[in-house]
Amino acid sequence: MQVLEAVVIKFNRALDFLAGVILAFTAILIVSNILGRALLGRSILGTYEMVGFLTAAVVGLALSRCALENGHIAVGFIVEKFPPGAQKIINLVISIPAMAFLALVAYNLFAYGSRVAVTGEVSPTTQIIFYPFIYVVAFGFLALALTVFFNLLRQFVGGERI
Amino acid sequence: MSPTMVGLIGICVFFLLIAHKMPIAYAMAMVGFAGFSYLTSTSAALSMVTSEFFSTFSRYSLSVIPMFILMGFLAFHAGMGTRLYDLAYKMVGHLPGGLAIATQATCALFGAVCGSNTATAATIGAIALPEMRKYNYDTSLSTASVAAGGAIGVLIPPSVIFIVYGIAAEQSVGRLFLAGIIPGILLMSLYMLVIYFLARKYPYLGPPGPRSGWRERYMALGGGLVEVMVVFAISLGGLFAGWFMPTEAGAVGVAGVLLVTALKRRINASIIVRSLSDTTRTTAMIMLLVGSAVVFGRFIAISRIPFAMAEWASELALPSFAVIALILLIYLVLGCFIDALALILLTIPIFLPVAVDILGYDPIWFGVIIVMVVAMGVITPPVGMNVYIIQGVAGDVPLEKIFRGIWPFLFAIVVALALLIIFPGLATFLPSLI
Repeated sequence: MQVLEAVVIKFNRALDFLAGVILAFTAILIVSNILGRALLGRSILGTYEMVGFLTAAVVGLALSRCALENGHIAVGFIVEKFPPGAQKIINLVISIPAMAFLALVAYNLFAYGSRVAVTGEVSPTTQIIFYPFIYVVAFGFLALALTVFFNLLRQFVGGERI
Repeated sequence: MSPTMVGLIGICVFFLLIAHKMPIAYAMAMVGFAGFSYLTSTSAALSMVTSEFFSTFSRYSLSVIPMFILMGFLAFHAGMGTRLYDLAYKMVGHLPGGLAIATQATCALFGAVCGSNTATAATIGAIALPEMRKYNYDTSLSTASVAAGGAIGVLIPPSVIFIVYGIAAEQSVGRLFLAGIIPGILLMSLYMLVIYFLARKYPYLGPPGPRSGWRERYMALGGGLVEVMVVFAISLGGLFAGWFMPTEAGAVGVAGVLLVTALKRRINASIIVRSLSDTTRTTAMIMLLVGSAVVFGRFIAISRIPFAMAEWASELALPSFAVIALILLIYLVLGCFIDALALILLTIPIFLPVAVDILGYDPIWFGVIIVMVVAMGVITPPVGMNVYIIQGVAGDVPLEKIFRGIWPFLFAIVVALALLIIFPGLATFLPSLI
């Protein structure tokens, strides 16, 4: 379990690091666009659409690490009054449908990305090929579903807390 | 079964799920998907969920969220709060309750570069609590003053909650930011008055600190205040002047914080990496919440609940003031249990049409009022987020003790709300100038 935990943590941190790099690049792109507009009278073509797609990639890549650290907001004060055994069962009942739903979203996002790739759909203004960004978000949802499963496993099998 | 009944059942199931600790974002998306599926078809619901998630995450107007969060985390990790507190402390530290009063001013100033009330509470708490402890301040007053002060940042721009309201209500983020300034200053002033009068009546609550000389005060001005003013001027000044879009203002704010902290050699690679990491985590949490709220909102829209609510409100034999009071009461109760962001995203599709289309209230004014009411939720039991954060910072203070000290500050928020309802211009005056 500890090996699995180490792998999951490293994997999520790697995704999150990538998200951080993309975020930094997005901020640099926006500021460069402003400077270009102000100083040279020229904008960087496609900034508006690219910033949107890059933000989607940041979100997709950071979803699972947020879940790993229990960062998605939940209301815990009722369940926390229950005995530990009951809390585990409630978590099991809650996590399984959540995991299935997130996996379903991931699957459908992959399918959506494939459709966009096949049809050659591009962004309306600057013709950016955007299906890779859909794949990144799909991958993020898949990683999120797996992290929900891992959190559940960790509760029943044990292992170190982060 | 009528669509409205399906919608009501969906809302009940949602509350049931979150009561069992399902993350609010998952619950909204799942109920939204299931309800939409029931009222249309499973394939339509799958298509809706997929496209809404991707289009929400990739919407340019939402990229403002990570930018302002990054700006706040950079300011937080680079220690801008410490220098602001030093300034406020030297100005008013000698008054009864002076350190707690200084805390309010610091929260408001730090709120001008940080969009998160929890980050504001954590930053200022870590700086102010040890000082107040050193001068034997009452623990309830000191901890509660920081927890409540963090909520001022909700109103002072940039505010993530205003951004989320703006997205949910389709209102200009720039106008909302402007609308929050006077109510934010008003709330800060009321907090200060409450602390001053309490400490004058019961001197053991907040004994005065040493008085600083004018030279010391002048020197402190050059530290924190100048940094904040520079960042605020280039980022939000540019937004208010119409030079930048909100996302651009956020990115310029990031560059501004980097610049002023680099000039003073207070930033390094480790701070930048930590800020990026904190930002991606917070952004993922907020954006999943927003995406899920869009899915839930689509279900609520086809369930016709907003129309039913609007009809109900128009048929009520109550003055519009009473209906608004009723809505605020609902927010107040729900705000005690649900996080502010989630609550706004969840309820705006239901209550905004009633307040704006039926009762004719200004959506910007309504936004300020709602944001202020949900801000009460961050300091009220049982899920007052800021109180938990301050408990974590203070270490050895029981939650009950902090909550006990919150009451005077809740009273101040209620007074601020009453003033905003009586004088709507407090919120609408500044936006009317642009």
